[in-house]
Amino acid sequence: MTILTRGAYAEPGTTQNYQTGTWRVQRPIHLHGTAPCHGACPAGEDAQAYLARLEEGNPRAAWETLVTANPLPATTGRVCHHPCESACNRGKYDEPIAIHHVERWLGDQAILEGWAYPVAPLAADAPPVAVVGAGPAGIACAYHLRRLGYRPTLFDELPVAGGTLRTALPPYRLPREVLDAEIERILALGIEFRAHTKLGRDVSLGDLRSDFRAVFLGPGRQSGREWSVNGVTPRDLHHGLDLLKEWVALGKVGCPKSIAIIGGGNTAVDLSRILKRAGASEVHVITHQSLPGPDVDPHDAMTAIQREVAQAIEEGVQIHPNRGIHRLILRGERVVGVEMVRMKKLDRGGGKVERVAFEGTESVLHVDQVIPAIGQEVDEGGMEEVLMGAGAFSVDVWGSSGATGVFAGGDARRGSSGTVSGAVGDGRRAALAMDRHIRGEVQPEGEARAPVTEYNKLNLHYFEHASRPLERVVPPADRSGDNEVELGIDLEEVKHEARRCFSCGNCFACDNCWTFCPDSSVLKTQEMASDGSHYVFDYDFCKGCGLCANECPCGFIAMAEDL
Amino acid sequence: MTQESKIPVAELRHRQPRYQAIEPGHRACLGCGQALAVRLVSEATGPDIIVANATGCLEIFTTPWPESAWKVPWMHSLFENTGAIASGIEAALKAQGKTTKVVAMGGDGGTFDIGFQALSGMLERDHNVLYVCYDNEAYMNTGVQRSGSTPHAAMTNTSPPGRERMGKRHLKKDVINIVASHHIPYAATAAVAYPSDLRKKVRRALAVDGPTFLQIHAPCPLGWGHDGSKSVEIGRLAVETGLYPLIELERGELTGVMPIRHPRPVVDYLKAQQRFRHLFADDARAREELEHLQAIADHNIEMYGLRSSGDDPLDTDGSDTVRRGGARWA
Repeated sequence: MTILTRGAYAEPGTTQNYQTGTWRVQRPIHLHGTAPCHGACPAGEDAQAYLARLEEGNPRAAWETLVTANPLPATTGRVCHHPCESACNRGKYDEPIAIHHVERWLGDQAILEGWAYPVAPLAADAPPVAVVGAGPAGIACAYHLRRLGYRPTLFDELPVAGGTLRTALPPYRLPREVLDAEIERILALGIEFRAHTKLGRDVSLGDLRSDFRAVFLGPGRQSGREWSVNGVTPRDLHHGLDLLKEWVALGKVGCPKSIAIIGGGNTAVDLSRILKRAGASEVHVITHQSLPGPDVDPHDAMTAIQREVAQAIEEGVQIHPNRGIHRLILRGERVVGVEMVRMKKLDRGGGKVERVAFEGTESVLHVDQVIPAIGQEVDEGGMEEVLMGAGAFSVDVWGSSGATGVFAGGDARRGSSGTVSGAVGDGRRAALAMDRHIRGEVQPEGEARAPVTEYNKLNLHYFEHASRPLERVVPPADRSGDNEVELGIDLEEVKHEARRCFSCGNCFACDNCWTFCPDSSVLKTQEMASDGSHYVFDYDFCKGCGLCANECPCGFIAMAEDL
Repeated sequence: MTQESKIPVAELRHRQPRYQAIEPGHRACLGCGQALAVRLVSEATGPDIIVANATGCLEIFTTPWPESAWKVPWMHSLFENTGAIASGIEAALKAQGKTTKVVAMGGDGGTFDIGFQALSGMLERDHNVLYVCYDNEAYMNTGVQRSGSTPHAAMTNTSPPGRERMGKRHLKKDVINIVASHHIPYAATAAVAYPSDLRKKVRRALAVDGPTFLQIHAPCPLGWGHDGSKSVEIGRLAVETGLYPLIELERGELTGVMPIRHPRPVVDYLKAQQRFRHLFADDARAREELEHLQAIADHNIEMYGLRSSGDDPLDTDGSDTVRRGGARWA
């Protein structure tokens, strides 16, 4: 029972008999916004939410929040290009939150402490679903299907799961013990992994469609794209991705003294650094794209992750941006050099963009080998009935391929960004869609999400400047072999980052609205209110002045018309 | 945008973790700085007080007959004798051996001008009273007439800008130093934009046995001509420009200031309010007055040493930093 002490109430004629709420023409409302980091994450992670759990002192809850979207945080925390940080509102204030480091720390901590994935036990009658391709898209899809109560079977041609993460990512970016631990823990949730099973060879898509309630295809891109310079190819042609796989599998790769790699993507940059490690004295990367930088249009810049490009340069790789290959210089069928020419993407008007080579800017590079790393194609084997020669899956946002019950995603999707986090997002969305398909529900147009809370919606008076922690990186001279180059940040720095988060669009219970209301019309709740805040408005007395909305640091309060 | 309908709001009001001596339903305008200030003061005093309240907005909006917003004993004095009434209550409590604290409250009109003699007497006779002046810089209750507190060049109905003058011709009365010159143990200025600082000063004043004085910058949306949603923002600007220095004086000596991390130009504060709009006309006199007000702010910053060292947690930037869970509002 509430005991009212002297001074806790007024009688007999309290002003509470008069409801000033009738004066109001606008009312404050709690308005959840999507934090920019959440809006930008290809995997669908809500970094704001897990930073909040971290700030509350609960790293495990943070990790559990994280893995409701992405089951591979220790992996993506290392290899993702983190568009979340580019979008972070804090970047406009001082420096963006080091989200990928926090993600990585949480992933590592979960492995270290053996935190169980928050997934309910599998029911005996769980419907079976098939996932083809055990890369990031397939693993994410299988994991989310498992979360949704299905019994997934994961098919892959290779003996172990991991796909491109395992076959083509250099271990100095992604140590295999991290990848193994994460995948092992996911498969242990009750996902059957069928190794050595290739679609079209060991099992047909027709079989899968009849044996399983729904099928996800995440085959990736495995075949090197055809490449020549004016119809000429060198004798000992190797594709970039194949050499990369060779290094990853064998720990060594044959390489001559000087090499030119053609391409500006991650494969080109990864390979360049590997060849440096393998002992090549000169490694050149030739790309028609520009070096990434603050003044460069991201559409013109190299598609490789910016920090990887920077580290490659540190390690002595020579990058030749805005260059094309004009001619291979051959002696017989042996390469002795390439003729480069400066190129630029020019707007030709009418929406036409053309790459132009400038006469008189040709230069010759003496190299012993030329390696194209210009992208891969989808291997259509076993999926002809869905692909029909299109070269890639044309799917909607949910991955629906057009064939009933068949979904697709990852690198093999048309328009894929070719990133791990993009693949994880594809897998997650497809799993949600497969669930709806099996239950006979209509697919919504897209993921329902509140509008992103922009920078100008925040009240920055209530924050102080604080710098982002410096990541520990092995100095170039000490980098070798498979040793990891980036070493992440520690717990104290992780907590520091959680404290720096602006909590865009989400209440973080700072008490501002409660403290500043001149009419005592914001009331504090002990338990969390249903909208995730700790406050309710007393509309009987709120006059609608808007002070709370103006002083909310997070952009969580908006004023709505109330006539 | 949904509000938890399961939480019974009226019952929740009885379970608030902070005491407030006034209830909602009072008739203050939207975004009233004074209503906010009274609430913040009472959060620090707690319920064991008796209030003597001069005529003014506060008296009017909290006690529309037959109602009262007050949860504590409250007595309405005349405009001019709040100090005397408070002295009398204090003497009576003293005679009865009671420790209930007496808090006198008045606006700037009742404090700087009309009630000043009674206030001075109360201070001189050493009564154990906290006198709180809600400073909205004019007679707002009667329709915005200039007071001794109205800042230089501000427009009121009795200091209109025109051919002869650019708003108020005289300077704002330096009442905090006049009060401190009574050699009282504690006198301070505060602002609603810095609630932790304000409540801390109330607690400090109450801890002292003897007369204490608090002057609180309380924006008046109607009288100053700004939106009610901007009251705190404008209060913050008053402090950050140096026009309203937050200081503490003990026995007349300066013992504390709130340093300013990044001093803002006075125009940021002035242009947000209609009462200074004539200063932004294309007029040589307007430009001169802007420079005059900037000089006053610069003078304040220099005289009180208001520049922050840069990372002071209690300066203008540090003291309004929020944290998850609201821990800052001590």
